[in-house]
Amino acid sequence: MVGVLIQMKLAVLRHSTTDAKRALNGLGYSAGICLAVATLVLAFLDFSHPRLLMDLLAVTFALWALGWMAGPIFAGEPPLNGEHFHRQPVPRRTLATGLLAAALVAVTTAITLLAFCALVVFAARLSWVAVVVSVPAVVLLLLLVVLLSRVVTLLFRMLSKSRLGGVVTATVTAAMVSLASFSWILVIGVSLLLEYGFPPAFSTVVRALPSSWSLIAVEAAGRGDWAGTAGPLLALAVVVAALFLAWSALLGPQRMDRPVVRGSSARRAARRGPLFQGDQGAIYLKELRTWWRDPVRTQAIVMGPAFAVITALFPLIFGFTAFLPFVGAAGALMAAATCANSYGQDGTALWLTLTVPGKEKADVRARQLAWLTVFGPLTLALTLAGCLLHGDATLVPWALAATLAALGGGSGLLAWVSVTALVPGPDPHKSKNSPMDHGDVTGQSFLMFFLVTLAISPALGVAWAGHALDLPALLWASVPVALLAGVLCHVALGSAAARTLRDKGPELLHLMRSGKPAAAAEETGEEAGTSPFETMSGKHQALMWSAMAVGVLGLFPQGLVPLGIKLSGSPAKVWFLALHVPEPWQWPVIAVMVAIGLAGFWSAYLVYRAAAPSPSSPAPTASPASASSPPTSVTSSPASPGS
Amino acid sequence: MRSPTTAPALRLDGLAKTFGEKIAVDHVELTVPRGSFYGLVGPNGAGKTTALSMAVGLLRPDAGRALVDGVDVWQEPLRARRLMGVLPDGLAMPERLTGRELLTYLGQLHGLSAGEADRRADELLAVMELDGSAERTLVVDYSTGMRKKIGLATALLHAPRLLVLDEPLEAVDPVSAATIKTILKRFVGHGGSVLLSSHVMALVEELCDTVAVMARGRVVAEGPLGAVRGDRSLEETFVGLVGVTVGGGEGLSWLAS
Repeated sequence: MVGVLIQMKLAVLRHSTTDAKRALNGLGYSAGICLAVATLVLAFLDFSHPRLLMDLLAVTFALWALGWMAGPIFAGEPPLNGEHFHRQPVPRRTLATGLLAAALVAVTTAITLLAFCALVVFAARLSWVAVVVSVPAVVLLLLLVVLLSRVVTLLFRMLSKSRLGGVVTATVTAAMVSLASFSWILVIGVSLLLEYGFPPAFSTVVRALPSSWSLIAVEAAGRGDWAGTAGPLLALAVVVAALFLAWSALLGPQRMDRPVVRGSSARRAARRGPLFQGDQGAIYLKELRTWWRDPVRTQAIVMGPAFAVITALFPLIFGFTAFLPFVGAAGALMAAATCANSYGQDGTALWLTLTVPGKEKADVRARQLAWLTVFGPLTLALTLAGCLLHGDATLVPWALAATLAALGGGSGLLAWVSVTALVPGPDPHKSKNSPMDHGDVTGQSFLMFFLVTLAISPALGVAWAGHALDLPALLWASVPVALLAGVLCHVALGSAAARTLRDKGPELLHLMRSGKPAAAAEETGEEAGTSPFETMSGKHQALMWSAMAVGVLGLFPQGLVPLGIKLSGSPAKVWFLALHVPEPWQWPVIAVMVAIGLAGFWSAYLVYRAAAPSPSSPAPTASPASASSPPTSVTSSPASPGS
Repeated sequence: MRSPTTAPALRLDGLAKTFGEKIAVDHVELTVPRGSFYGLVGPNGAGKTTALSMAVGLLRPDAGRALVDGVDVWQEPLRARRLMGVLPDGLAMPERLTGRELLTYLGQLHGLSAGEADRRADELLAVMELDGSAERTLVVDYSTGMRKKIGLATALLHAPRLLVLDEPLEAVDPVSAATIKTILKRFVGHGGSVLLSSHVMALVEELCDTVAVMARGRVVAEGPLGAVRGDRSLEETFVGLVGVTVGGGEGLSWLAS
């Protein structure tokens, strides 16, 4: 059973991996290996503060566990799941064992194992007995994170069938993503920790987590405390066993009913208010109804704002309140990043748009307006609330400009990305009982995140100029600039999306029908695919994404954010390199970081341009009859009646 | 271009499509005469769905043309698509709408007046038995048969002159199937044309006056039903044309023991 399932998993992966996917995976794996090596290195370090190393390792292991739990929400369900086998007469326990073994055969598991070897390093610094103990400890820890990931996926899948469950899932996910995104405090703020260590309450909480128990056991073994060694290891084994049992119980056919959402009565089916007139109005109404009724959309509505609010709450622990006014902007940014697969989510329903002639533009616009209707008032209200809570008027123009630019930029970009970087998944009616079974939108979300941040930067640049030159009028001019940039993005990118939809509609439909882009062989006489992402080689994609990562890291966390802090006159150094160097060097370091960031974005753009089809090539909508093989005169044999 | 009054309802002219190595449709020629009830039959994987998708503008062909009333589907999509009603097999819909919401939505997109859209939606839902207790059910919660019926309703809504239906009666219960057959016969009786694909020979024999047999991406026979089947049943003719022997008689000894 185990061998069969492992082979099956490898076969599924072999058949579903495209070049682009491989590049994205490669990038993810490299990042993962870097993190694993960093974890390993951590275990070699010496700290003056006695308990700091253990605390740091505990936090790091907890973050790895968190990553395993949050991953499937973006990446979709694992390649093999219990649903695939529930008609086979295989005992659930056997199936669970097989699936667990298959889950362990993965690059991600290997990377995690590498990271967890930090525990062996840690043990080697204590005693050889501790090393012996650390081996089963590492195995148990690995089983813990893999099982946690699987159980959480199944629980989320059950929950997200209802709208209320969608709210819960989204909030938990937002908290996990937010927590994980704060892990860089650890990396950069080590200097602060070296001095003070973690607050005692914090270390108590972290050590209580099951992900820390193997660490505690190894440490106890180092001290020769045998009760302290066996206790946590046994407890961890019990948790692992319990998770395994829970997982095998959950693997069977679903027993929880999906709450059914009802539509409107016959009298109210056709709303004819002034808002819903014409083509765009009709589609707008359809979109609003979908936003209201689809649990997957409920999840999307909650995700962005929940992420923003939780992200604003964390820095309050350090007494840092300057993020509060930006809670609306962050919400809009996240909402754009998580809603960019509009057409992919609707699946093959695109055929109706293609058979009702000439409605592509109305379709795109209505989707943009529906997104703005859902998130516009919500994020503006969050911005207002954040500004009021913060109480300092100086950040209001910044916050307002960022929110408006994120909304406008987001609405334009999500329309464009939804057709140029569409991620196919199962049709909604086929996945209605397993909403977690979707395409892997991680890459798309990252792309949106970068692009929307880019769209915000002109307005923030104006605000910065106003601040630096001490011109309040210029500072406030960032708001109309943001509005202008937003409207431009919304209009221009929306039109571009509509054009792509009109020219490439059948190709997009094919992509959703077959789950993969039309192969180069069948694209005779026209540009292959709809976007350079599809034509780009794996190497180029890896290059582009790495450049993008450099751009984001340089420009935002190490460039613009310390710049903002410095401008706001706050003495907080927090975790930014520029603020830790001597005063005269702070501005140059910020400038260099911004330059590195911009260079990153620029090279990403250059790679993209190089791979994009040249604009001078003939229009792709040329007659299909111009294809390579000329139609043969008569191919179908005429009727041979009766014979 | 031929004058629309004499052009056939639908003509496929050398349509071809290759997926990677596999030739799915190999230069298919088909003519659906006006006012005919045309059946396209073929075994699984013969290329029926691919051919129909290219005929209605949902899949771009590698070569060839599709003409509806003489209008090229790929050159003048706006005009051609107004003349057709399409029912693809197994595709998604705007899933979070009720049947009535879906029909009024499409009616609005097709430019029907509010009153007209409401009237047609009313009649279609009543005929398809999708009103009453199913009134507030969302399409996502429809059964397979209900999905077929709402799909057919969307194809009929804008009063097209040609219907292209991929497996229209699959998974539909016998009562609803009888209703749909009556609707389609009336449609043809009033001058409309229907092209449907199926692998149920009895259905095609019952409804269609013209048939084509597809195998391995080619049309191997086309003509009036009587001419194609001769004095045999359509099924026997089909098996002969497709060139396979009926399996199942031998092997599988473990199943019989």
